[in-house]
Amino acid sequence: MRFVLKTNYDQDVKVFLHNGQRFWYGLLALAVLLAPLVLDRFYLGEFAYLYIWAIAGVGLMLLVGYTGLVSLGHAAFLAIGAYAHAWLLTQGVPFVLSVPLATAFCAIIGYIVGLPALRMTGIYLAIATLAFERIAAWVIEHWESVTGGHFGMRVPDPMVFGMSLDGPVPFYYLCLGILGLSLFAALNLLRSPTGRAFIAVRDSEVSAQSMGINLARTKCTAFALSAAFTGLAGTLFSHRIGYLAPDAFTVQTSIQLLLMVVVGGLGSLQGVVYGAIFLGLLPQAIAIGRDVLPQWIGEIPGLEPGIFGAILVVFLIFEPLGIHGRWVKVRLWFDQFPLYRRATYKRQRSYLRTERVR
Amino acid sequence: MSLLEAHDLSVSFGGIKAVRDVSFTVEPGEVFSIIGPNGAGKTTIFNLVSRFYEADSGGMAFDGMDITGAPPHRIAELGIARTFQNTELFEHESVLTNLLIAHHVHRRTNLVTDLLFLPGARRQELDFRRRVEDVIDLLDLQSYREQPIGGLPYGARKMVEIARALCLEPKLLLLDEPSSGLNPEETEDLSFWIEDIVAELGITVAMVEHDMNLVATVSDRVMAMADGAELATGDPTEIQNHPDVLRAYLGD
Repeated sequence: MRFVLKTNYDQDVKVFLHNGQRFWYGLLALAVLLAPLVLDRFYLGEFAYLYIWAIAGVGLMLLVGYTGLVSLGHAAFLAIGAYAHAWLLTQGVPFVLSVPLATAFCAIIGYIVGLPALRMTGIYLAIATLAFERIAAWVIEHWESVTGGHFGMRVPDPMVFGMSLDGPVPFYYLCLGILGLSLFAALNLLRSPTGRAFIAVRDSEVSAQSMGINLARTKCTAFALSAAFTGLAGTLFSHRIGYLAPDAFTVQTSIQLLLMVVVGGLGSLQGVVYGAIFLGLLPQAIAIGRDVLPQWIGEIPGLEPGIFGAILVVFLIFEPLGIHGRWVKVRLWFDQFPLYRRATYKRQRSYLRTERVR
Repeated sequence: MSLLEAHDLSVSFGGIKAVRDVSFTVEPGEVFSIIGPNGAGKTTIFNLVSRFYEADSGGMAFDGMDITGAPPHRIAELGIARTFQNTELFEHESVLTNLLIAHHVHRRTNLVTDLLFLPGARRQELDFRRRVEDVIDLLDLQSYREQPIGGLPYGARKMVEIARALCLEPKLLLLDEPSSGLNPEETEDLSFWIEDIVAELGITVAMVEHDMNLVATVSDRVMAMADGAELATGDPTEIQNHPDVLRAYLGD
């Protein structure tokens, strides 16, 4: 077991607690930076896709895992980010400007969507955000002059200072870089008053108010930030699919996003990455399973969403803190072996405030 | 001038008049206690002051400012901190984070500086961290510092809640039954803490309390209530022997 002797307040502010963490995260950074040397085109694309999911996941994690507000409407922010970015590009706005503009636009929409959230929690909020997602989808389908309606629109290549980032290697680094920045920004947020206000609202609204936290403003800020990160992922997503059409962003996309943060582990940024890996691997696993299992099982209609739903339910019941929560427990078990007490996590509660856990 | 002044406060829930025409003042530097049988409306008064409840009539002024219509988060900014009867801590977080959250009212950074963690944000964090440590020192919470609230014993939670309120660096501290669930030893410690808070930090304390020993030890003035109305206000011994108070507690 490791004991960290703290001799300085700076140690409580640092991102990495001790050299062990620095070593392992450094190794991970090195591995993802050098990955293009060994991986082929297909896997680079898959990894870039995974990073895009993770960026969106950071956004949803801030909202669900840290502020305790559920959203089933995040596919809409992904779509708004993607469409806004693509439209700006077609209008001749350079890539480096278009990405922040589209992100900011999503933040504004997010702030507005956050307003009705002030009076809702749990299942009601989930349904309200679902309604928002449907409205956004309807607008995208019918605002043909901007979005191309059902025919969709082609996304221009990402050009930075006359250099195309469309190749697999530059695009991989672009996604990796933005994921890195997103995680860093989220980490900064969580070690400063803004992020702590989110946590306060999640754990006790009454107490948060008596600590001088403005509930309305905090919730709207959480929505805006969450939408901004998801919209940022949307801008990259548009380049990944190359051609935007309404059916790229459905309710199932929202559910996948939620699945990602719940399975990954609510209330942890590592969980976002675990969730993204899980979500990236799951369709492959299902495809492989289809080949292996008897044919009639593979042909069941709605198999994929069914499996997604089943996994979500299993995690909510048996491991509300997701893969990250499980990992923390396993690590503690090894740390304390053979003294681990079974009851250590008896009192854990879930962050998702639905009627069941209340 | 009184620190907190409330006049003719009334509130009812449905047909129940929880508080009726209660007036009181809290003077700077004193310990003011509210006592009374269950359901007398003591906590309701605190909730009115914290602005969780809307008063049907009457008004309140704090430090010369009218707070009758202020939003709840403004109350903390003005310098009123409170604790809750059944502790309302941020369950999933460590004691340290709980105390840091209380520094929210002192924040000088905004969203952008927080996102980028600019030098100003870092300086502010270190400053908050140092001030939190002062409160941890004062209330002897060192051993709990890094522990998550979920695993703390009840007595420790009570103290953490008081510590969190102190981190707001308030002018007035509202303690809602601080001794409930504490054993006699802890209650005795509590009376020392309260005296320290008043004497060393210069914070005025108003508390709702059932333990008459504690009330008699620390209070300067006591207000007794029953059925939402004020019975009597005065110094502790006077109130303990007041015929109306005895009748409210013991019956005729």
